[in-house]
Amino acid sequence: MRAMNRYLYDGTADGLLSAIAWILEEEPDPLLVALSEREDTLFEDGFFIGTDATQAESLFFRLRKQAPDAAHTIYSFMLAEKEGMETSLLHYISLVFKHGDKVNGYLTHSAVLDIVSIAKKAGRELHRMKGLLRFEKLRDGAYLAKMEPDHNIIHPLAYHFRTRLRAQHWFLYDVKRRTAARWSNGSLQFGTIEQFTTPALSDDEKKVQAMWQTFFKTIAIPDRKNARLQKSNMPMKYWKYLTEKQGE
Amino acid sequence: MDTLAKLQILSGAARYDASCASSGSKREAPSSGTGNTSQSGICHSWSDDGRCISLLKILLSNDCRYDCAYCVNRSTNAVERASFTAREVVDLTLDFYRRNYIEGLFLSSAVMQSPDVTMERMVRVVESLRTEEHFGGYIHLKIIPGCSSELVRKAGLYADRISVNIELPSQVSLQRLAPQKHKDSILEPMALIGREIHSSLVERKADRRAPRFAPAGQSTQMIIGASPENDFQILRLSQGLYKKMNLKRVYYSAYVPVSADNRLPVLAAPPLLREHRLYQADWLLRFYGFSAEEILSDDLPNLDETFDPKTAWALRHPEFFPVEINRADYLTLLRVPGIGVTSAKRIIAARRFSAITPEGMKKIGVVMKRAKYFITSSGRGFERADRTPALIRQQLLLGDGIVAPPPRQLVFPGLYA
Repeated sequence: MRAMNRYLYDGTADGLLSAIAWILEEEPDPLLVALSEREDTLFEDGFFIGTDATQAESLFFRLRKQAPDAAHTIYSFMLAEKEGMETSLLHYISLVFKHGDKVNGYLTHSAVLDIVSIAKKAGRELHRMKGLLRFEKLRDGAYLAKMEPDHNIIHPLAYHFRTRLRAQHWFLYDVKRRTAARWSNGSLQFGTIEQFTTPALSDDEKKVQAMWQTFFKTIAIPDRKNARLQKSNMPMKYWKYLTEKQGE
Repeated sequence: MDTLAKLQILSGAARYDASCASSGSKREAPSSGTGNTSQSGICHSWSDDGRCISLLKILLSNDCRYDCAYCVNRSTNAVERASFTAREVVDLTLDFYRRNYIEGLFLSSAVMQSPDVTMERMVRVVESLRTEEHFGGYIHLKIIPGCSSELVRKAGLYADRISVNIELPSQVSLQRLAPQKHKDSILEPMALIGREIHSSLVERKADRRAPRFAPAGQSTQMIIGASPENDFQILRLSQGLYKKMNLKRVYYSAYVPVSADNRLPVLAAPPLLREHRLYQADWLLRFYGFSAEEILSDDLPNLDETFDPKTAWALRHPEFFPVEINRADYLTLLRVPGIGVTSAKRIIAARRFSAITPEGMKKIGVVMKRAKYFITSSGRGFERADRTPALIRQQLLLGDGIVAPPPRQLVFPGLYA
């Protein structure tokens, strides 16, 4: 016998949104309902809701129309790929339909706090990577940037560089997730990379990198050295791909 | 001399300029070129002194005719001299921008043959970036005091932000330490820029295609601790610049001893704490609705070293507290020590849904360390009631575990005795 207020979905993003759409439609008080990912064990407790991509899409469309800020929060939350937060998301979305965009101020509600703070963290890393990403010029004239961000931000990051660096041909590569973005001749494509071989750099690349390293060193005021402040603004986990931090 | 050697000299010479903001301008990428700007600004790295790097900050030349006592580039200082060609600056900017090292260019210069010759060469660099290379990134251009208003106007059409450094907080100090610079040659272009920004905004309201003039506004910088002005004088000067000249930012730069000139004070270290307190007070002027006269007075002309300026004000004004967080308006909330712009906005947004409890304050992310002495929630205090300012003072100190700050008293060898 299944419990009245426990639901399961297949673990995909579409599955999650379509399950939420179904619950909002069918349940009198979604705030009393729990939702989680189905694990294939025998004794699972809950009613499985099948994935319906159209339902998922129409839910997000309604959200964008009724509460654009909240829709953006949900988008950022999804970038975090956080597990075990389905119930919070369900409650948050149900509150969005009740209060509209104002809901993001309702931080005393634990579901709102959960979703907003995770979305903020993802947004913060996205903003940070817009600055910390480093391109290297390759022999064929294209530019390549490698990164290992905590959040799955390659899409919004690529949109940022699509307008900013529209005149050059470039790649973004998320080393951990093995995903890539490619901009060339006015079109942006996303894909996965099975095997990555580091391409050769252009002849003048090391020269330009040396200039940047020199600039980085001399722009600091020696009397004001502050390694702690530097690390708190620019955590060491990002140093791996920073041109100015090579060899440290 | 190769570009790398020049870069070393001319970035080292530019590092004492505090401004590195890349915010406040929204420029779309040109269809055939490279670069745009972001309204909120983007930091690309943080240097070893912990400051944000967002712009390629360089001088066009450090070959200076002037002999300002506080400046590393003064004509009598024995440093190596170098000058970039326009091409070198353009290439460096583009090479760095394409690799995402920077948001754009910050270009200043020592005064070469004359202010006009210098400014003209600087304007030519940004003109070439904008019109030949179609560069859409951020440009901050320094105005050389004494150059023609024609060049100031041209600079404002190409740059996102332009700035004239006020250098020292009074005419007397300027005369003493920078004898070739005059107050009027600094204030005149500032006023001109203010007028041009204003009229460009008016024109653009009527016609969206009207040219923009320095869309990120103008800023200035003054050196703190090289001359004897007190904090009250400095804050009143900033207040005037914000109100009358419509400046976006005033930067304060703790004086770093770069010469042993006997007109300068002897400092053990740059007055960093004083600089920090001035920035805090500056924030109170711009975002918190405080006036310079509320923060300091003739009887109390310097900022407290132990407490931030808002806490110091609160301790002097017990009659203002406690503030009830579930009823107080925005500006009243902003006066509570520990509650900043973000927290005040969050409190107002959250109490629409239900009254905020002490636990609720923690949830929405208000730091209670200082605030708890100054607020009530639905009439209930967070700390025992009727505390005297003296008691709060002690609590704040012990609670914060503040270590006694180093003394700020400067030694002026024989000059101001």
